Amino acid sequence: MNQMSDEPPVVLVIEDEQPLLDMYVGWLEDRYEVRSAATATAADEAFDESVDVVLLDREIPETSGSELLAEFRDRPGRCRVTMVTGVEPDFDIIDMGFDDYLTKPVTSEQLTDAVARLVHRDEVAAMTRRLFSLARKRSVLQTSKPADELTDSDEFDRLEREIESLRSDINESLERIDSGEMVSLVREFEAEANRPADPGCEAR
Amino acid sequence: MSYDTPSFDVSFADGTSALVSGDAKSARTAFYDAIADGLENGEAVIVVGTNDSPTQVIAALGDRTTVDEERLAIVDATGEGEDGVVDGVTVRAVGSTGDLTGLSLAFAKQLQLLEDRGVADRVRVGLDTVSTLLMYAEVQTVFRFLHVFTSRLGSADLLGLFTLTPDMHDEKQVNTVRTLFDTEARVEGGRVSLRGSGYE
Repeated sequence: MNQMSDEPPVVLVIEDEQPLLDMYVGWLEDRYEVRSAATATAADEAFDESVDVVLLDREIPETSGSELLAEFRDRPGRCRVTMVTGVEPDFDIIDMGFDDYLTKPVTSEQLTDAVARLVHRDEVAAMTRRLFSLARKRSVLQTSKPADELTDSDEFDRLEREIESLRSDINESLERIDSGEMVSLVREFEAEANRPADPGCEAR
Repeated sequence: MSYDTPSFDVSFADGTSALVSGDAKSARTAFYDAIADGLENGEAVIVVGTNDSPTQVIAALGDRTTVDEERLAIVDATGEGEDGVVDGVTVRAVGSTGDLTGLSLAFAKQLQLLEDRGVADRVRVGLDTVSTLLMYAEVQTVFRFLHVFTSRLGSADLLGLFTLTPDMHDEKQVNTVRTLFDTEARVEGGRVSLRGSGYE
């Protein structure tokens, strides 16, 4: 994923009703790089590891939303998936591996909010991962070098400042976090810890 | 508004999360003293216990103050409890100690419960102990969990108290966890000394 760079996040919209598909794409294309697919085959072709967020219609011909999702989850990359559904689903769907869901009819605001929320979650995940790695690095230095040597070190000074600025960025980003978002993030951290190492992680 | 804590001789600012560090026994004692201060002030309290059963939590608070069951909620993170009511106090259990998603969800439900009861104006939240979480889950996951958990306390203007026993972990882990807390109450020989910010 590329949220730490200047490239816009990539959103894949999968919807079999062409007018809806066009409308969703229209709402998103100002801010994101949007790909679209009206069939399972097209979705399969459009999906790769550069996709950040998938907007997935629950009822897609040839397959089902959950089958398609399972297929995406088996591939490399860590996209987030919002399911668009005709009926209000049970809370259980979150456990099925969806990150979020929207109930039809979907307004422009709901759709852009949902995508922004998932992109934001992605950013927070990346920032906390980075903060941990910096904090651990500082900690290693603190335990291995004498205090006066650290005080004199420009590198250590830079590290401290980077930690402080990242902490404040994260705090700002989470200033209005609600309980639902807290649970979603923690679920994500745990899922990440249980996944085999993602080669892209450390580079972010 | 703030969270008066006479047992530490301080008042914590809204949204503060403080680490309470010391040997297990002293940190636990100081922790319950500070949590009981909240009940004493008329605040609501949520205790997340990784070692103490709900009965032990209620007993520890009952030794220090009068427990109003309406203003207390417990998350049993020992991995051995179940949802229910213990001595009039609502308990939400987490399947296993290292299940941080379950812990977050149980906490969210307890906060909601206190809100529904109309007593969540000021809530003092205690987690005893981070040391146990570090034994059951990866340090990176615990670190990130603590970050969003303390952020949630911050966004709701609550007070968070988290015990940690530094001697149980290597120094690198302890220092890494410390990064997340602006405030630390160090407990040594029964004395509590505060450092950092977020209190006066």
